Amino acid sequence: MATNAIDTWTDSVSTSSQSYEDSVLGLKQRRADALDKFAQVGFPGRKHEEWRYTPLTSIASGPCSALLERSGSLLDRKLLPVDSNGVARIVIDNGEFRDDLSDLSAVGDHVQVQSLASMRREHPEQLSELLARSFPADDHPFHCLSDALLDDGVFIDVAPMSDVDGEVASIHIIHYLDGSRGPGSVHTTGLLRISKGARIRLIEEIHCQGEVLGNIRWGVDLAEGSDVHRIRAFRSGCASIFHGSRVVQQQDSRFEDVFTCAGADLVRNEIHILHEGSGCHAELLGAYVASGTEHIDNHTTIDHKVEDCTSREIYRGVLSGKSRGVFTGMIHVHEGAQRTDAVQSNDTILLSGAAEADSRPRLEIYADDVKCTHGATVGELDEDAIFYLRSRGISFEQARRMLVRAFTSEILIAAGSQVVSDFIVEELQQAIDVAEVASS
Amino acid sequence: MSGKKEKQMLEIKGLHASVEGTEILKGLDLEVGKGEVHAIMGPNGSGKSTLANVLAGREEYQVDSGTVKYNGLDLLELAADERACEGIFMAFQYPVSIPGISNAYFLRSALNALRRYRDESEIDAVDFLDLVRSKMELVGMDQKLLQRAVNDGFSGGEKKRNEILQMAVLEPKLAILDETDSGLDIDALRVVAEGVNVLRREDRTFIIVTHYQRLLDYIVPDRVHVLSGGRIVRSGDKDLALELEKEGYSWLEADDAKAGSGA
Repeated sequence: MATNAIDTWTDSVSTSSQSYEDSVLGLKQRRADALDKFAQVGFPGRKHEEWRYTPLTSIASGPCSALLERSGSLLDRKLLPVDSNGVARIVIDNGEFRDDLSDLSAVGDHVQVQSLASMRREHPEQLSELLARSFPADDHPFHCLSDALLDDGVFIDVAPMSDVDGEVASIHIIHYLDGSRGPGSVHTTGLLRISKGARIRLIEEIHCQGEVLGNIRWGVDLAEGSDVHRIRAFRSGCASIFHGSRVVQQQDSRFEDVFTCAGADLVRNEIHILHEGSGCHAELLGAYVASGTEHIDNHTTIDHKVEDCTSREIYRGVLSGKSRGVFTGMIHVHEGAQRTDAVQSNDTILLSGAAEADSRPRLEIYADDVKCTHGATVGELDEDAIFYLRSRGISFEQARRMLVRAFTSEILIAAGSQVVSDFIVEELQQAIDVAEVASS
Repeated sequence: MSGKKEKQMLEIKGLHASVEGTEILKGLDLEVGKGEVHAIMGPNGSGKSTLANVLAGREEYQVDSGTVKYNGLDLLELAADERACEGIFMAFQYPVSIPGISNAYFLRSALNALRRYRDESEIDAVDFLDLVRSKMELVGMDQKLLQRAVNDGFSGGEKKRNEILQMAVLEPKLAILDETDSGLDIDALRVVAEGVNVLRREDRTFIIVTHYQRLLDYIVPDRVHVLSGGRIVRSGDKDLALELEKEGYSWLEADDAKAGSGA
């Protein structure tokens, strides 16, 4: 059965993969290698250490092996309240970079944006080099799929601002995954290159309809002294999403990521940070809610390779129903990475007895002068805080809501925009309320 | 419409209460009149904190028998939030910090909960700010603390002042001050005392639970009660507090021993 399922996938991926024409050898080879690799590894199950808590058997036997049809009309969804003044917009609809719906007039000339489809046609050599640099070959199933099925996506190239450019450039990226005309998958690659001293803000949101598998990967390349601030909102009703980022940071650069998920059938959120130069900082924040049988897996790796780098990581989940939250946080302090300062925590509130949280902090430290702390808590709401609120006249129900809201909203403080932060906090809260009503 | 009943605010009869299976209050009787300030004193472990928490409705404190009448209501039938809505307020000994909820949002939610209970319309943000600013001035609190998370990173004195501010905004009929810990610093006590004096009114009753007489250097109580072994063993006027300060509580142990052997 499982064998048949993966054969279906391999056949489907193989057919799709071979339909693409690559004009340069690098891309051709990359695609062929990835296809071979995927045929070998398939989707790992429980026995694979990296996928122990999130076996991909349901994906393997699921109906999404074909590519999603290009949709034409957009899903009608309420977007994050991003101020359209001064913020560029990129729309990626069922994997296709939609030139007609994207608007890049708000960013200055120092920000260049190209679709990967156009790069494949016009600058295949450059694309091949960028991919090789951003995504070293491995046997990760989703990376293999991304390479084997490389089609479209986006390349954002940011140079430092000149004085006339004004505010830091902001780009709002909206992914629509519309499976209303049949299930399928989408494989999107994003490349972000930030030159020395440059800055950018990204607001990425994902909307799903129907049975879809979204496979989104980002290669982020931060040059010396550059700065990236990113918000990712997996909007309510997401299906199965793999979202992976590989972030390479040079000296004194800063990468900040705020991940939020208002419920999804299955999420694997992977971030791999590599500090290649000293004085880097990475800030990884996450707030997620899950209900029913939803499953959210956050999988982060921070490689502190050189001295004087810092990282701070806080992931918070609220689980109800029979949902499951998984957190794996690897902090790897390499030999010579002295004075590394790494903080990590993962806190989960369980609103039902049947929900489950698995938290695995992992530290590997090969330097002696470092500060690394990690902690995980799993529990119910603080009884003392509930009593404090009730003693002021606030009902038990309202006290619970206020505390859950406080728990997630602390993460969203880092969103950088009060309006966006409030909107997301409200959506997370609504997802919890709906789940609570459904289960009572 | 006259006489004792009208004046009575709180009437506790034969109250037995336990925490985690251990009986702490063992038949406590207490009457408190409207507008009065009562101090409840006693040695550590006598049940002072238990009394305060039972009155506020903390669920870990199990009431085994006895009655508590508050303004004619059966207090023990009410949940903690209903008690607050009926005008009971407990100033916490150690106020809880709640990261992620601003003081302003917390106070407005509380005030609106009380207003909804009384079938009044909710207060809007602008009116609320006016109200809370005037109350902050009244209790001498830094306006900056309004936007900070509830008690988060507050000093001991700031936490106490925040309790008094909540009291000023929520305007309770009965305020219970839990100051049982002997380790509280003198500045924090002074904040509490000043707050009580500012908010003292003819129709507002205070019960001040405290270990040491020194809080009463600043607040002059109408009645002083000594709690020992889970019961009120002596009551008197403000001079009783002074007497306790001189003599300590050692005489109680002698009384207890006698009572124990007699039983």
